[in-house]
Amino acid sequence: MNAPSSQTIEPGAQFRALSSGRTGQVGEMLGAGGQGAVYAASFDGAMFALKWYHDHVARVDVNLRNRLKRSISRKPPSDAFLWPVDLVEMPGSQSFGYLMPLRADGYRCIRDIIAPPPRRLKLSLSMRLRICSAIADSFLQLHASGFCYQDINLGNLFVDPVGGHIMVCDIDNVDVDGERASVYGTRKFMAPEVVRREALPTSKTDLFSMAVLFFYILHGWHPLDGQAEAAVDILDAEAENKLYGTEPRFIFDPDDQSNGPVPGHHDGIARRWETISKGLRKLFTRSFTRGLHEPRDRVLETEWKAAFTRMLDRLITCKECDNDVSYDATPGSPQKCGICEALIAAPVMGKVGRDWVVLGQGRTLYARHAEQGAKNPTARVGIVESHPDDEAIVGLRNLSQKPWLVTLADGRAFKVMPDKTVRLAGGMTVTFGAKRMAITDPADTPEQPAAEQPVAKEAS
Amino acid sequence: MSNPVDLETAGLSRRQLNLVVMVDCSGSMTGDRIASLNFAMRTAVPAIREVAADNPETDVRIRVLRFSTEAEWHVGEAEPIDNFTWTDLKAGGETAMGAALIAVAEILNNEHMPGRQLPPVLVMVSDGQPSDDFEAGLSALMDSSYGTKATRVAIAIGQDADIDTLQRFIGHAQFKPLRAANAKDLVERIRWATTAPIKTASTPTNSPDPLADLWHEASEQNTVVEEMVW
Repeated sequence: MNAPSSQTIEPGAQFRALSSGRTGQVGEMLGAGGQGAVYAASFDGAMFALKWYHDHVARVDVNLRNRLKRSISRKPPSDAFLWPVDLVEMPGSQSFGYLMPLRADGYRCIRDIIAPPPRRLKLSLSMRLRICSAIADSFLQLHASGFCYQDINLGNLFVDPVGGHIMVCDIDNVDVDGERASVYGTRKFMAPEVVRREALPTSKTDLFSMAVLFFYILHGWHPLDGQAEAAVDILDAEAENKLYGTEPRFIFDPDDQSNGPVPGHHDGIARRWETISKGLRKLFTRSFTRGLHEPRDRVLETEWKAAFTRMLDRLITCKECDNDVSYDATPGSPQKCGICEALIAAPVMGKVGRDWVVLGQGRTLYARHAEQGAKNPTARVGIVESHPDDEAIVGLRNLSQKPWLVTLADGRAFKVMPDKTVRLAGGMTVTFGAKRMAITDPADTPEQPAAEQPVAKEAS
Repeated sequence: MSNPVDLETAGLSRRQLNLVVMVDCSGSMTGDRIASLNFAMRTAVPAIREVAADNPETDVRIRVLRFSTEAEWHVGEAEPIDNFTWTDLKAGGETAMGAALIAVAEILNNEHMPGRQLPPVLVMVSDGQPSDDFEAGLSALMDSSYGTKATRVAIAIGQDADIDTLQRFIGHAQFKPLRAANAKDLVERIRWATTAPIKTASTPTNSPDPLADLWHEASEQNTVVEEMVW
């Protein structure tokens, strides 16, 4: 029901790509937003997406053309970016647009993770972590190329819910870091100094927006929305400026409970917070306490990536409530489930260097666990499986091309050839090649350090 | 399990955005005009649903008030936009715009819009001069708890609409009433007026004042000036 107006272009119309001088044809409208509309477009024998700006956007944002030209002249930082290919003009129009690759099928907007059902995109905690890690990696590439994005929010990221790949859209604000920015950003994602209009977006404010995004992806909630936000009846500009600009406070600030969770209202969010790793909680706390005021102290992409990876390695499924939580207890000790409070038995674990991996059913080991500086860190090298005849017997199958060397607690050693499975036992060491993993099985070591008082499980 | 929590409902505590559409159903609206307006509103509903879906943290609710010789609620209970269907309005009578503002003023408070709210959006559609006390209505509106906080948009239908009055309802010098000269315009204006203010809740902002984006767009809406063809 989009009636034609001066703002839109007609399907079938011809356009001209500026740097090549060749023409193409406008196809169907794919979507419309505040800045313009996106159409399918055929050009040079292939299909592209064409973003066409509203007249006033083209007029008001005077650097838009130059920004896009610069991006077009550079290589995309990674495959995840729907990077502009060429500028486009049309006869008789004051406005312009740009061509970019079409988004692949099957991708969903990340915003759908907070959409009410039935539109809600339901993702496991491990998938959420993988997506966060992929996002951190993409912005690392962008920032490393000297650019900043300026408007990171839930609306311009798309995800393939099966493979965990992401796509970053709306590249039009991307600019050289430090240049005068063209937008302030999107509400609730802007850094406090931008909300207060004391600064314009830079790579430092990108880091803040990214932390908000990660908090949203893991909690389905905004990190600065606690008691103070719940008490605001009507969120007008003044209230918004206070909550996100002049008096921002983290809902889980350990030293300031004035914006803490409200019982009965934020219970689900508080539970989720309990399921994420201590390392990640530390990064969020830094982002939304010191990082609110000190752009220099904001968490870097590499720090996020390391924390996401570590937490992925320590995910365990609670047998009572079937939720995934981070196993953060001292290896060998049971842990209370952050969601249902049932006691989770200590799992079999492997230690590689300083990092621990929970070796639960289905756990996959990757090249990053087995090799030093792996070329393809996400290549699978092993998987935890049950014995085909006895589910209680759990082993690690060699999915790599190389034999593993296994040493038992009593000193006996043997090889595990590719596609063979070795039963996991405490005190065992598996040498993959460059790295080795020491196995701890709490069933084999009855004397457990009592890190936490076990809580009796009761039927409610 | 001592205290099971459904994590999937955790994010469902959304802020409400109340959209109130006030429609002039006076005698001059009889015939083609009210038919066009009914058509315009029907086609706007899916568009409102779409922008609401793009703002998953916002719970968009709609009410409709008709005013002719009196003001009365056509849809008085705030209806979630996903459940809302348009029921046709009929025209006939005078233009009690003042009474309409008083009726709306009565619901612009915490009692009728309970819980966490975004500023309400008031859309006024009119083709003529108020026949009652507009001033009394405007002061009641501005004195209500959420009146001055509300985003106010007006659509002037045809040549006889009272632009100055509508401008005073908006209460913002740069933000002009939208003009609808024909049925096609009306469809576009209604769609814009009921969706753009919701959209600004999530789109990136270029201006220190988020409303400024609305004026820019509103002024572009007014570029089509055609003779009345109904």
